[in-house]
Amino acid sequence: MEISKMIKRAPILFTPIFKDCSYRLITNKVTWILIAILMLPCALGLLVYYEYSDDRISEEVDGDTIYYTDEGFLLHEDLREVFLDLSRFFGMGFIALLLGIMFSSELISEEYNTKTMQILRTSPIHPIEILAYRYVSGIITGVALLGLYSTIFYIIVMMGAGIHGIIEELELLALVIKIIMLNWIGFLSIFCAINVYFEKPYLICFIYWLFWEQIISGQNYQQLTMTHYINSIIYDSLTEMGWIVTADDYGLVNSNNDTIATDPLLSALIIIIIGILFIFIGSRGIASKQF
Amino acid sequence: MNTIILEQVTKNYGKVQGISNVTLSIEPGVTGILGPNGAGKSTTMKIVLGLSRPSIGAVAVNGVNPFDDLELRKNIGFVPEYDCFYEHMSAVEYVSYFLMIHDFDKEESIDMAQNSLAELGLQDSMHRKIRTYSRGMRQKTKVARATAFNPQILILDEPFQGADPTTRHLLMEKIKSWAEEGKTILISSHILHDVEYLTDNIVLINNGRVLASGNRHEIRKMMSNIPIQVKVSPLDKKKLRPLFKRMLDEEWITAGRIMEDEGEIILETNKSETFYEILPQILEKENIIVQKIMSDDDSLDSLYSKLVEGKQWK
Repeated sequence: MEISKMIKRAPILFTPIFKDCSYRLITNKVTWILIAILMLPCALGLLVYYEYSDDRISEEVDGDTIYYTDEGFLLHEDLREVFLDLSRFFGMGFIALLLGIMFSSELISEEYNTKTMQILRTSPIHPIEILAYRYVSGIITGVALLGLYSTIFYIIVMMGAGIHGIIEELELLALVIKIIMLNWIGFLSIFCAINVYFEKPYLICFIYWLFWEQIISGQNYQQLTMTHYINSIIYDSLTEMGWIVTADDYGLVNSNNDTIATDPLLSALIIIIIGILFIFIGSRGIASKQF
Repeated sequence: MNTIILEQVTKNYGKVQGISNVTLSIEPGVTGILGPNGAGKSTTMKIVLGLSRPSIGAVAVNGVNPFDDLELRKNIGFVPEYDCFYEHMSAVEYVSYFLMIHDFDKEESIDMAQNSLAELGLQDSMHRKIRTYSRGMRQKTKVARATAFNPQILILDEPFQGADPTTRHLLMEKIKSWAEEGKTILISSHILHDVEYLTDNIVLINNGRVLASGNRHEIRKMMSNIPIQVKVSPLDKKKLRPLFKRMLDEEWITAGRIMEDEGEIILETNKSETFYEILPQILEKENIIVQKIMSDDDSLDSLYSKLVEGKQWK
């Protein structure tokens, strides 16, 4: 099937699949369990706010209330680090990864389990179309959920620093949402491909993440991992935003302690290429899989 | 056109053999594929559909390999034995989605889906979610999905499963009309009577091997080494024993039994043609009028029992 034909019919074929996938993903119990876990730091943030909001030191400047720490530093500069650190574990870290693994399984393995994949394979639809529609649906749903979550979490954490603090650090929220998006573009395609080829995708996805992404990243050959490119973008963006961070903080050094961070634009491009590449690999798997 | 050819096809699943050395040629019309569970019917269908590659041998549907050819799939409709739904879609959404895959535009697809579902009696429930459907309604939805785009080849795996008598009758009439239109229909069913009603062309399969294929009457004729049973009922019940004794004198009668209560004798012969030729002469000579002469052995059920289950009359 020609690519032009696939592109031409994509809007018609994608819409029902997007509706189906997003419905399945949002109504899945595991999604809600993970969302409940994601909400824990939000609850904690609210608790801290109500406990300590009266102890803040504030100053009125041009009609804005600016809050300070006890040491006299800007409070929003303290809180933004809390937001970023917690986001690196929740919204764009381990919990988001579990959500991605669960999504990929629901999008691909479930189609094999419910045997709808067999029906699709007897229909005139290219395996790339089968996989790509589900992959894009997963990205949209995942990024929407985590983007919304991160926004809520950002407001809860930063509201301690008042409206001024919330507005001042919006660039950080944009960075977190950008990282969530790139994370999902890269990791979801890898997880989807794993789901096509393996019968126990949860385990394989987790093993891949733990042994490949966590152990190799921070080493000399870390360019072979997605994590390296994600960290490169975070490091570069924070530097641009005036944060005092070192490449070492993000593991972007080799054994000689040389900085090996990749250019952020190139990193983003590589992540997108990884996404496309694994969709091709996954679609080959669908095409060759026998029932 | 619309032919399915399997040449010496063997399919192995690891050490387990799915089908072995299957050679078949399926032409337009209805062909019933029969066999017990695990006989290899579904494997054969999967190979024809391109869901599975043969380990050895070749398969050609309309002259092309179904595993690789996307265009061919525009011409094949498949009703699987199992459920395969997006449960929260309505039947219209489900059927129209697959029509859109066949390159019909959205409005056209919805119209065609509605027509197809209405033809199968789902006009009142086609907008309900599939997850609320009964087994029969699900079966109709599967058939609608497989046939709405007017494919020339239909692969129907247990299409009457879970269908109520009305639905079964409706589906059988549909299948007959599709066959009359020149479609090639391969159908598997556990209900031999249904297949018998639809076609005389059968493929009997067991343990992955084709035991017989072709017209069932022809197959029966070729089974000359397997005796047939004939029931003869004299009008006068007093003639039951004399007739039985007389028939046993013939060397081509291999066994017999008197069924006093039923008022009939059952005779077994391995020379059916001689039997039907000589029996009238004997009856005339002995002045016996018979009520009926009947053999169940020509039925599909009997053929299935003999070939697949290995049952012989004792």
